[in-house]
Amino acid sequence: MTLMDFTNFDIDQLFGMKDDSNPFMMLIWILPIIIFIFYGQRIQLYVTSGEIKKGIKKLDEFREESRNELITYVNKNLKPTNNPEKKFDQFLDYFTIMPVDMDPNGIVEKVQHTVRSREDYTREHVKSIFSDIDDIELSKVQTLLEIASSLQMIHKIINHMFLTAKKQNNYPLILPLQMILPFIMEQAEAMKEAIPAFKRGQPVGDGIGPMVVGKMMLNNPKDTISFQTSLAKTNFENRNLFLIKAEGPGSTVGRPADALQTIVSQNKIDAVIMIDAALKMEGEESASIARGFGAAIGGIGTEKFHIEEVATQNQIPIFSIVIKQSVKEAITLMTKEIADQADNVRSQVYEMIKENTIEGHSVVVIGVGNTVGVPQ
Amino acid sequence: MFSKEKITLAYTVEKCMKCGLQKKRKFSDGDVLFAEVSKCNSCDGKSIIEKIFGETLEQ
Repeated sequence: MTLMDFTNFDIDQLFGMKDDSNPFMMLIWILPIIIFIFYGQRIQLYVTSGEIKKGIKKLDEFREESRNELITYVNKNLKPTNNPEKKFDQFLDYFTIMPVDMDPNGIVEKVQHTVRSREDYTREHVKSIFSDIDDIELSKVQTLLEIASSLQMIHKIINHMFLTAKKQNNYPLILPLQMILPFIMEQAEAMKEAIPAFKRGQPVGDGIGPMVVGKMMLNNPKDTISFQTSLAKTNFENRNLFLIKAEGPGSTVGRPADALQTIVSQNKIDAVIMIDAALKMEGEESASIARGFGAAIGGIGTEKFHIEEVATQNQIPIFSIVIKQSVKEAITLMTKEIADQADNVRSQVYEMIKENTIEGHSVVVIGVGNTVGVPQ
Repeated sequence: MFSKEKITLAYTVEKCMKCGLQKKRKFSDGDVLFAEVSKCNSCDGKSIIEKIFGETLEQ
């Protein structure tokens, strides 16, 4: 076997530096190096700017499209007496200032108050535009407004970050934007694609929890236990079941923490089981089911905090079942794979009840998620 | 390079509460889960909407 000898190459020959080498070739070698030393960052800035500009253009289209969809939906289905465009444009520009967190004591209550105030304000003002709007339509308009407002805010922030970096000619400033943009685009696209499902009142992937519990509630009397939240009491193998879900078929997530608080204050509860959609990791199969411990609930964190607090104070174990899905699957029309898992999840809930409680125990089962298209 | 356009079609599955017979049809406005929709063709039992889902097709 012959081995190549790498030790005897001639450096002069490699770089063409011999006396007889072409000076033009030398220039071709050296000129780009000089350009890159002095203007490298600026060139990178231009290349990256092109990509980001495309993203921002798309975000602007999403923003415009979501606004137009909202206005068209309202004009077509709710027949407003006055032109609501101006009013809705005002809503789209509304912002929420989160409470100061230098002293975190009591921050959850403050955040909850701020968020609920915003929701109540929007609800009341949408109601005032359409005098005879029913609760289901109201929740749909509120969700569409929330989507359009979020897309507007995303576009504004990304555009601001981009223009600041351009203005300063600052390449390092544009790097974080380049890194987060694909994730932002994924979320924005999912939001844009969620609009048809909410307009037509179809269940979304996030509604799998309410779908499972909603079926368990069928043929049982229901009460409203907290704002936009429904409760049904039933029995399963000599255990008392308290079934909670957001009140469907409107687009709402209800207030499960308030509901749990009320139930626990009136009854001795031995276990809480939560069913929710969870974000799948890359490589994980969509619609796969996983069981675990702890409160399975997303959102801003206030509901989760209160559920955990009630459970801890009363020493109640929380079990959870999650159905894995992507961001897009969670907020767009439910896929067949997710819908097909509903019976399986329901049987796992019953199995979990049998495994973790004994006869005479009381269990709270919470179907967490947006209940659009899912009554009880 | 030339990515195919994807469209999502919504379907409703009705299930008879008595004999379990399932019927799949296109979603129509006003469909919500668990709503009683029609009588079963085979046993005269009550049919409810069991599932509503979307299937994505490439064009």
